[in-house]
Amino acid sequence: MSYSVNISVEAPIENQIQEITYDGTEIYQPPLTLSESLTKYAQKIDFSKTSDIDFKKEPGEAIEDNKSDSDSKDAFQSSLWPWDSARNKLRNAFQEVCVLADVLAIAKDKRYMVLDPVQQEPIETKPMVQIYARKKALAGAASVLLTGAERLKTSQNEAARNRTVPDFHIELLRLRQNWRLKKVSNTIIGDLSYRTAGSKYTQTGTFEVTKAEDDDKTNSPPSSPIPGGATTAKTNSALRVSIPSELQGVAYIEVLCQKDQEDLCSVNVNLLGSGPPASNPDMHWQQKLEAAQNVLFCKELFNQLAKEAVQLQAPIPHMVVGNQIMATVFPGIQLIIGLCHSTVGDKKQQNNNSSKTDHDHVLEHSLHQLLREVHHKNTHHPFPHPATGPLGPSKKRMLAGPMAADRYELLEMTKSETLLEQIIKQAQHFFMRLRTEYVLDTIAKEVKDPLISSHWNTLNSPTQSCVKINISTHGYDALCRTPLVIHVGEKSLKCICRDGKVMHMSYEPQELRDLIFCHINQHQILAVQALAKTMGWQFLANSNHLGTGAVEPLGNASSCLLASPTGDRIIAVRCEPQTGIQVCVAHSPRSDFFPSRLVTERKWEHLGGQFRDVRLEKMEGRNFLHKMELLMASLTSSS
Amino acid sequence: MSVPRALPQSKEALLKSYRTRLKDDVKSMLENFEEIVKLAKGDHDTQLSRMTQCEQDTFEMHVRAANIVRAGESLMKLVSDIKQYLILNDFPSVNEAITQNSKLFRTKQAECDQKLMSLRDDMAADLYDLEEEYYSSLNK
Repeated sequence: MSYSVNISVEAPIENQIQEITYDGTEIYQPPLTLSESLTKYAQKIDFSKTSDIDFKKEPGEAIEDNKSDSDSKDAFQSSLWPWDSARNKLRNAFQEVCVLADVLAIAKDKRYMVLDPVQQEPIETKPMVQIYARKKALAGAASVLLTGAERLKTSQNEAARNRTVPDFHIELLRLRQNWRLKKVSNTIIGDLSYRTAGSKYTQTGTFEVTKAEDDDKTNSPPSSPIPGGATTAKTNSALRVSIPSELQGVAYIEVLCQKDQEDLCSVNVNLLGSGPPASNPDMHWQQKLEAAQNVLFCKELFNQLAKEAVQLQAPIPHMVVGNQIMATVFPGIQLIIGLCHSTVGDKKQQNNNSSKTDHDHVLEHSLHQLLREVHHKNTHHPFPHPATGPLGPSKKRMLAGPMAADRYELLEMTKSETLLEQIIKQAQHFFMRLRTEYVLDTIAKEVKDPLISSHWNTLNSPTQSCVKINISTHGYDALCRTPLVIHVGEKSLKCICRDGKVMHMSYEPQELRDLIFCHINQHQILAVQALAKTMGWQFLANSNHLGTGAVEPLGNASSCLLASPTGDRIIAVRCEPQTGIQVCVAHSPRSDFFPSRLVTERKWEHLGGQFRDVRLEKMEGRNFLHKMELLMASLTSSS
Repeated sequence: MSVPRALPQSKEALLKSYRTRLKDDVKSMLENFEEIVKLAKGDHDTQLSRMTQCEQDTFEMHVRAANIVRAGESLMKLVSDIKQYLILNDFPSVNEAITQNSKLFRTKQAECDQKLMSLRDDMAADLYDLEEEYYSSLNK
């Protein structure tokens, strides 16, 4: 401190240079006048600061005072002056307003004082600093732009790199090509109902299409460790469809045929076949939508069937319980149609069902077809379409007016078969066919002698089929055969016999059985007759319905009488469904004649002798006709 | 198919909005860029002090750069929107797809029918023979 030197600072004597002319002379600024320098210095005084200091001092003192006192007293004092701060502020404001009013008055009156503009001190400009600042600002802006561009570029690159995963718009295009879509405000709504195909089901089948992006983002962090695997494993596309909960899952219609609580056959109708369970959330949208559409279809089908089941007036009323419709096909046989809708893939049950019933999908297909037909009819009206008037009525109905149809005809036109009726008919036909097959097969198994072969016609309809039955004897097919044709309908059988007779039978299998047995007997008699002709034997008499002998439980016995070429032997054949075939032989005349008291002459022996039974079972020969041939041959040769 | 048809009012409005969006975005990009260039030039007399002015310029440049980026993103969004609109409303192409699909399915159906028919014929012939054999054999 002892070395400190007093440095006096004073303003330079020289005035500031205002301008330097080209010849080097410097023009100085004129020095400030006294008043000017006064105003300059006065301007430098910060009045607010001084008042601030004063203001600050006051609370400082107050704090000092308060510090000596206890806290409780402080609290007490503050509570004494609750509006203290407000009051202070108000006072300050009042002061400032007063000053402002004074200044304004002075400025306005111009009596004592004049407001003069004070020359500002020229601001020091540093061009380099400014340039640096501007450079920095530009760099910042550039970096913002660059990051933005980078982001766009990376997103583009990402899209280009993931070319294998089609982007949202391509997926959307695919979706649009297969499904109906429309845009409602900001969402894309699709429709999977069959309404455009003619369905009149009220339930809507709308689904929403969203981008799968947000979901991917949540998924991507866990899958990021294996980026290569993640992209390949992600079979789901950039598109996500959300389906209403009532259409989720897998639905199918189960058709069961029950006979007194015993499953005769059950058809597990799953329109998707053995599709994957729908619970899988990563399913492709196409499969998802198809499943949902299938659910909708099943629901509509079941709804329609249930409605019809309630409305139909059947002799045995149809029952609709929960998800099941029960209809009686034949006495003791019920058709059960159930709607199975599983939202969770309960695989076990599905497998169980399918293992039980993997043999027949015909009824399922029929149901499917029937509803499709209804849909088709709803949209495809017969031509010509009227320019005015409803589109609904059929061509027949449109013609009814000009053709002056009467009430009966019109009533006939309004009758239409419901789906349930049609499916019941098909089920009935199915049973009729099954029974006919069974009867024919068992008879063919039981009866060995005439061969019964049946050929099912390949051309048939769901409610009608046809079987051709041939009764023939092995080895004698060319000699005689009895053809029969049986038309299997819904509830009845129609048999067209060999002679052109038409027999109608009910659904009871016994009737068919009896008919076939009748025809077997007839065949045997006819075959014997035909054989006799070829052997040169004479055919004496024939009766298809013999009145004699024991009464048969069904039908009548048939018989024929044959005579040898020389007429000395007679064979009688009697054929009964119950007891079988009886063959008797008579000789006339007898080879030896002994006159007796009654028959005195030999000529009476020509009338024929007693018939004696032939024990056919002891004879040689493969079958009846063969035995008869041998018999005839032996009788012919012996004469 | 290129016959211009009178579009409904809402569609017209939507298309117009797309057009305005495009123009607005491009204009905004250009304007913001021009402004940045102007700012870089400097030389505007203000009452603010230099430092404040610099800070303001910096900030303004940043905002304008961000605006350009935003306009770019908005253009991308516009492209995506237009794509979506086209996909959803391009009925000629949808019709084409439908006809193509139906044609495909029809040929498939015909093919299946043909195969089924031939299969049926074969099976019927074989069944006839088998039935003949079965019913004339002794082992039933």
